[in-house]
Amino acid sequence: MNKLIITNNSLVFEKYHSNYDVIYLKDAGYLDVLYAARDRIHLSYVLLTHPMAGSLKPNQTPYKSIIVAQGENGLDIESVVLIENSISAAQKFLRDRGTPSWSEKILSDFRTVDLSLMEDAIQKRSLIAI
Amino acid sequence: MKLELGKILIQDVQFGDKTEVVNGTLFVNKEEIVELVLEDDRLIGADVELARPGEAVRIAPVKDVIEPRVKVTGGGALFPGMINKVEQVGSGRTHALVGATVITCGQIVGFQEGLIDMSGPAAKYCPFSKTNNVVLVIKPADGLETHDYETAGRLAGLKVAAYVGEAGRNIEPDEVVVYETKPLLEQALQYPDLPKIGYVHMLQSQGLLHDTYYYGVDAKQLVPTFMYPTEIMDGAIVSGNCVAPCDKVTTFHHLNNPIIEDLFKRHGKDLNFMGVVLTNENVFLADKDRSSDMTAKLCHFLGFEGVIISEEGYGNPDTDLMMNCQKVSQKGIKVVLITDEFPGRDGKSQSLADTVDEADALVSCGNGNMIIHFPPMEKVIGTLDFIETMIGGYEGSLKPDGSIEAELQIVIASTIANGYNRLAARGH
Repeated sequence: MNKLIITNNSLVFEKYHSNYDVIYLKDAGYLDVLYAARDRIHLSYVLLTHPMAGSLKPNQTPYKSIIVAQGENGLDIESVVLIENSISAAQKFLRDRGTPSWSEKILSDFRTVDLSLMEDAIQKRSLIAI
Repeated sequence: MKLELGKILIQDVQFGDKTEVVNGTLFVNKEEIVELVLEDDRLIGADVELARPGEAVRIAPVKDVIEPRVKVTGGGALFPGMINKVEQVGSGRTHALVGATVITCGQIVGFQEGLIDMSGPAAKYCPFSKTNNVVLVIKPADGLETHDYETAGRLAGLKVAAYVGEAGRNIEPDEVVVYETKPLLEQALQYPDLPKIGYVHMLQSQGLLHDTYYYGVDAKQLVPTFMYPTEIMDGAIVSGNCVAPCDKVTTFHHLNNPIIEDLFKRHGKDLNFMGVVLTNENVFLADKDRSSDMTAKLCHFLGFEGVIISEEGYGNPDTDLMMNCQKVSQKGIKVVLITDEFPGRDGKSQSLADTVDEADALVSCGNGNMIIHFPPMEKVIGTLDFIETMIGGYEGSLKPDGSIEAELQIVIASTIANGYNRLAARGH
């Protein structure tokens, strides 16, 4: 099972692109990462991580990373429902208030936390079959 | 396992030459606290301030809140696996300085939690506006990596809370409450006609600033397990979560878990409180499958007839909440959920990020998206620099006069999802 990391976080790209497949959506927004995951799920990819990982809300952090894998059983309905719910929840927050333009220091903090949310999933679970 | 909790009621906090409790007043020696904190060379600065109920004081940004306690008798010591050895706790006698807290304050990341107002309209949303608080403001070494700063901050708070708690060791408590859970089969036989109720306690476990520890084990690494309820009262569970102020479970809230407290109040009267299943909220979906399967298995194996489930957080944890609800229900066990909601400013959107058909009984802890207005405070402990970047804050939240307009979720523990607050929701 090949993991594919979809991210707009440069720290995630830098750390993992040598050993894993990474789709790096440079300068893209939070929702763009969710849409990219959704598009692949409709092509039978399966979610390995929860799209709403982390307590930072979608209108707060600009960074999102999601891990998917090529499925072998056609469309995975659970992944479809999960990504659509996540998109809907993100849109709800962004409707109330957009993501601010943060300083570089704060952006760096957001990147660090997003990377941390992925590290456990990427490094310690690589042998698990879905 | 049986624990006697001796409650020493604290009505005031003052600085003094000796850290001690005298007639309900907690005195703390500032220099000794600072010296203790600076033993960790990851921290280069520490200051101690006091904040009392009713004062025009705002504390921000808050990392953790801990109730000072001390293990008087019984095995182990407070916060096992964190600042003390891993020896099992939860039995014997423990004293608590009730009405006092240690609060850690200091910037770890630019957007962390959260604020506490000691008076004014925001005070009613936070239990720590009513406690006498020893506030520890910490400063990291230059360039200290974020994970290391979080660890240092977490340990500093626990060490100071244990140090202050020592002042209660030889004081006669104002009240002693006895909590007892017998081994499973004996417990079942003690009240054979009462329904067997379990509590599924979901621990935040996603990564940096989103972690919880059980005897020092990172909850991300746990498989669901069974805990005697009194273990939590000696600090077996410690918070490393520090991002979403309103529903983050502080270490104080672990020590004083209200679901455990209320289940014990009714234990032997209209229910038989059998114990606590601990589980986690990992990001990896296969971990969620495993943990929810095992949670349901444990509840069923242990003979629960009804279960209360609480979570920490929003979004990702809502999926765990629903998986636990569904799988436990499918074992024929009645389930009630407790959680807070994020239905948008107007309250009309979906409250949770996930749902299942079996989630038909839920007690709400309030809406974190509500906007509230807080007046300026005369004194700020910490800094207001990060108000607009905290969850619940936004550009323009902090007004020039020091007043704040923000979502309720900026206030520490305002909608905490284990019910230790004063908000609810009703259907019409």
